[in-house]
This record gives sequence, structure tokens and C-alpha cells, in this order.
Amino acid sequence: MDLAFSPEERAFRDEVREFIATHLPQDIRRKIQAGDHLQKDDYMRWHRILHERGWVAAGWPKEYGGTGWTPVQRHIFHEEIAYGWAPRLMPFGLHMVAPVIIEFGNDAQRARYLPKIASGEEFWCQGYSEPGAGSDLASLSTRAERNGETYLINGTKTWITAAQWADWIFVLARTDPQAKKQEGISFILVDMRTPGVTVRPIETIDGGKEINEVHLENVVVPVENRVGKEGEGWTYAKFLLEHERTGTAGIAGCHQQLETLRELLAQESIDDRRLNERIALVEIELEALAFTELRTLAAESAGKRPGPESSILKIKGTEIQQSLSELALDALGPYAEEHLAPRYFNYRKTSIYAGSNEIQKNIIAKRILKL
Amino acid sequence: MDFTLSPEQLLIKDSVARFAAGAHAGTDVWPKFAELGWLAIGAPDELGGFGGPLETLLVMEQLGRGLVVSPYVSQVVLAGTILRAAGRSELLGRLVEGEERFAVAYEEPHARYDPAAVTATAAREGDGYAIRGAKVRVLDAATAGTVIVSARTGDEISLFAVPAGAPNLTRAPYAAEDGADVANLRFDGVRVDAQAMLGPLGGGLALLEQGLDHAVAALCAEGLGLMSLMLEATVEYTKQRHQFGVPIGSFQALQHRMAEMFVEVELARSMAYLAAMTLEDRRDDPAARKRGISAAKVQVARSARFVAQNAIQLHGGIGMSEEYKAGHYFKRLTMVERLLGDTDFHLARYVAHRGAKTEAAPLRVAEPAPA
Repeated sequence: MDLAFSPEERAFRDEVREFIATHLPQDIRRKIQAGDHLQKDDYMRWHRILHERGWVAAGWPKEYGGTGWTPVQRHIFHEEIAYGWAPRLMPFGLHMVAPVIIEFGNDAQRARYLPKIASGEEFWCQGYSEPGAGSDLASLSTRAERNGETYLINGTKTWITAAQWADWIFVLARTDPQAKKQEGISFILVDMRTPGVTVRPIETIDGGKEINEVHLENVVVPVENRVGKEGEGWTYAKFLLEHERTGTAGIAGCHQQLETLRELLAQESIDDRRLNERIALVEIELEALAFTELRTLAAESAGKRPGPESSILKIKGTEIQQSLSELALDALGPYAEEHLAPRYFNYRKTSIYAGSNEIQKNIIAKRILKL
Repeated sequence: MDFTLSPEQLLIKDSVARFAAGAHAGTDVWPKFAELGWLAIGAPDELGGFGGPLETLLVMEQLGRGLVVSPYVSQVVLAGTILRAAGRSELLGRLVEGEERFAVAYEEPHARYDPAAVTATAAREGDGYAIRGAKVRVLDAATAGTVIVSARTGDEISLFAVPAGAPNLTRAPYAAEDGADVANLRFDGVRVDAQAMLGPLGGGLALLEQGLDHAVAALCAEGLGLMSLMLEATVEYTKQRHQFGVPIGSFQALQHRMAEMFVEVELARSMAYLAAMTLEDRRDDPAARKRGISAAKVQVARSARFVAQNAIQLHGGIGMSEEYKAGHYFKRLTMVERLLGDTDFHLARYVAHRGAKTEAAPLRVAEPAPA
């Protein structure tokens, strides 16, 4: 048993840290430090800088431009991004649709989409949830009707982060309405400029405008935009969700939140025993979770696929994120700085998105405890 | 990073597991432990010793799973660590061989677990010392041949090894809730010679704290074993127990509770391992050691309480029955939770030493992970 990072891994960490320190544009770093909303240009400028360095496509096979990193290196990179006050890489193209195209798409699709995802030339968003299909995603009702060499798509997708910036959306749509719920679903790529696609912003309780509803009305899409086999979309969707779950613990982000909180307390000269102990309890849980993440990483490094254990990371990670946003609010009382309350409101989403925490508990009960 | 056990470690784990699964209640396990070599863990090579905190963890986790209430923590871990650090191999050798048992008398009435709250005194008399004072909740005092006691020598605290049968030393033994052997001790002018002092004059607190931290880590491992077995027993029971015509484990209210128990067990597992690592890595940094060990005890104790209480609840009436094992695990886990410092004590100790964390945690917040 060896629970430390290897010298090579430490060297990699230093290299990433150094690169971020010297290459991240100052104005972007300042925005993140101030808790401001980032614009598309902020994300994409940073994306292009990392792309030039060859560091965007973690987890892709090398032949498609992947970084060739081990799971531990991916973890280190992810953490350093947060520690260096850099924007995250938008995951919808890089870490959601790309792995599906690589695994289940054809050569023409790989050649058409992957280079532009990597370069950042095309921005993606995710068309999964619907007004009537959230946790029960397989009950989705968006229809894709086959007419020769095209599909005619009708339906509504919702809670879509960054759809207002997107060039493309990957859509789960029902191609066979007679088939059983999970069957008859296909995975289709839709150009956002296609006639009949409209985006309506949804303002959230924190005043944010990051999520949207996307209406698809008589949208005509060539059949070649379907990834994999017709009716197999559910399999691909599940594959994607498992990719999405890794990294949701957000450990590095929690450490930052914690430090921000401590700075605030120092600034306001707050030294309250009860508050200190409440913070300590969260800090200890965070330490336990960070080590749990390392345990799953070690298992991954030993060749095990990320399994249902990642539900622990989702549940506890989001609970800790929420606790920290709560503590910041409580620490400063009713006159909390203006960005603290919106963050607290905003963070309520964390236990809802990416498979609600209740769904994660179902996964643990069924797949680990075999109940 | 590698979490796999070496063949030697697997051997220890398996042999303790086999022992723990057999019938051992009401028997003196000590001769057997000595015969199997388990008393030598953590001792130096020249005494036939092997292993360290990680091997101790493997032993304690399995003893916990088998509900083996033994003096392992008080002897091998607590007394053993002190004797080794004090360089008293003639005494440690007898412990390793199973020839003599030791009790560590450190806690005083109203001290609330604090090893520094010492009012007992050791006054210079001739070429030796006379010890006066009271100690409470001394583990395994009834069977001990030697008592290691803390007492003030001036402003500082020193440790003395006192024969348990010494004149003016009285023991009032009683059985704890989990059946463990405990005693309150009175020292009414107990005479010892200068050789009885362990370590340097005034060096007793440092020795004691080192021993206690090793013992707390071992208790964390025992707690882990106890609670992992309680979770398994609960899952099994809810699969067998039928009400309303179905196994009660099919109810979502119960499934979610067990999923939460599972998360708690895994967090406790991480902290038990982290505690063992801390003892290995932070040998020369007592503040970091205290911080890490207290963090582990807080997490394990909180997880223990949650898992234990819910295990009883989900067993229903049978969980309250003295005949059934769940209740016995519950009692032992309740003791483990409070032994050598409860959550409040270790939380305060953690807060006092939290600056000791050296890993630089960087600053500021980004938004949470993607929706």
C-alpha cells in the first residue's frame, strides 16, 4: 500500500500549477476571485490557451488528441484548475458528447466533430431533461420521426446550461414510440442554427441566467447525425452519465470556498467558538471525502471502471458545497456581502443536478447494497 | 497511489478475521494473541516486532467486525507505544511475550478526557518518588501487573511505571456497559524508585499524547469494523424481514437510510486509513499528528453514532433484544465513540491544531460543477 503521489505526479502538479500561474489571463482570474459570472469569451479564451498546450482532451484516446493522462493526472489537473482560479473547461463537448462519439460513433463523425470540440471552435450543450422527464429520464417524449434520410424532431428540452452559447446540442429523442420505455430512444446531434430550434432563458432564484429551455419544432436533421444504432440511445446516455459523475465531488472547489470563508471571518474579525466548530465539522468531512476520492482514483488506476461508488462523491460533495455556502451566509448574518446570498441560493442546484442525491441513494441501494 | 495490501498484510487480516469469526466470548484471548504474534505489532525488530499503524488497523478492524472486546488497544497500542517511545525494551519485551499486562492511568475526575489536566503529584522522596492522586476509567487495570501513571513533577508531567500490587495503590474495578474491564485508581503515597520514571523528567505528556494518538487511531479502526458489520447485518435483515407481503428492504424510506449509512461507513473507512497514515508520516510533527488523529476520531464517532442508531431502528424490536447481536455491537460502538475522547473533545482539539495542516489549500471560489 502506497498512498502518496509519486514524484512524477508531483512534478506534473508543479508543471500544471506553473502553467496556470503564468498563462491564465489576469482579467479572468480577477473575475473568478470576485465571484463574478463568466462570459462565453472568458471560458473560450482559456480553453484555447489550454488547447494550444494540448491539455483539453483528458480521457480521450491519444489518437484523437487525448492527453494520455492517468486517472491520477486527470484528478491533479482538475484540482489545479480550481486552485489556480482558472475557469473550468466546459464539459458538454469535451467530457460528455465526445466520449460517446469516440465509443459509439463512426469514423466520419469522429473526424467531423472531435477536432472542433477540442479546439473550442464549436460549443456544445446537453439535451437530456424535459419538462415531463427529469429523474425518470427514460420517460422522455421528444419525438424523432424518420422520413427517409432525415429525422423530424419535435419536443422540449429543459435545464440546459449554456444553451444560449451553444453551436450544437446532443438530444435524446424517441425514434420508436411503440417500443418499451428504455428502448426506442436514439442519440442525435442537432445544429442549433437549424430552423425550428429556439432558446428561452430560465432565470434562477439567484438571478442567474445560465440555464435554458430549448424548443425543437419541426426540426429536420440528417440521419447521419445519429450516433450509433437507432434505438440504442439509452445505453449511450447511461454511458455518458457515468462519465459525468466522476469529478462531481468538487473537492478543490470546496477547499477554495473554505478559504474564502476563513478570509471573510478574518476580515470581519469574527472568532466564534460555535461557528469555528461548525466549520471544522465540514472541513473534516471534506478531508474524509477527499481521501475517499483518492481511494476511487486508486481503484481506477488499477483498471477498475468508475462504478456506483462515485455516488458517494456526488452526494457528500454536493452536501459539503451547500454547507459551506450556508456557513458563509450564517457567518456574516443578515448583511452578508452581495455575492454570498446568491451563491447560497445557486448552490441548492448541486443536490438536484447530475442525478439528484435521492437518485444517487437509489443507485447505492440497488447496485451496492443489492436491496 | 496503491491501496492493495501486501501478502503479509493480507495474512494478518485473514488470520484475525478467522479468529474473530470463531467463538471467543467469555474466554481470555490474550494467550492466543501472544501465540499468534499479534502482540508484537509495532514493536522494534530486536524484540521480534513487525508492522506499524497500518497493521494495527487491519487487526482492529477485524476484531471490531467480530466484536472481540480485548485489551489490545490498552496494551499493545497505548502502553506499547509509550514503552517503545520511552526506550524501555525490558518492559516492552514482557508485553510482547504476553508475560505482563499494563494499564495506563492518565485521566482524572473532571478532566473530561484531557491528558494535560493532571493534579496527581509525584514528590521527590529520598532517591525515588511518592505518588498521590486519583485516576478514573483506567482500561484493563484489574488484570494489569504494571500501571503507567501520569503525575506532576513540578510544573511538568512525568510518567511512572508502578507495580499494580504496590502498597497504598488501590483499585476499584467495575465492568463497563460493553463488558470491558475498567477501574478507578487511588495513589495514597505510592513509593517508586527513580528507575520507575518512563522517559525524561517532565517528558510524560508528550509520551502520553503519542500513545493516546496511536490508541485513538486503533479505536477508529475498531469502530470501522463494528459499523461495517452493523450495516451488513441491517441490509441482510431487511432482505429477510417481510411486512405488508414484501421484504422491508424494498421500501425506499429504508433504502435511503441504508444508503446514507453506507456513505458514513465509507467516510469512516477513509478517516481510519488516514489516521494510520498520519501516524506513519507525521512522526516528527506532533501538532499535525494531533490534528489528523482528532479529525479521524470526530468523523468515525459521528459516523458510528449514525450507523449504530439507525441499525437498531431498522432492526425494529429485535434490535432492542439482549439476545440478538445488533444490540451488543451498538453498545460497543457507543463506547468506542467516547473512549479516549468524544466528539466534542476531539473537535475542540482539532480546532486548536487546525493550523498544523501543511498542504497548501489555495483560495477563492469558482461556481460549482456543471448542471
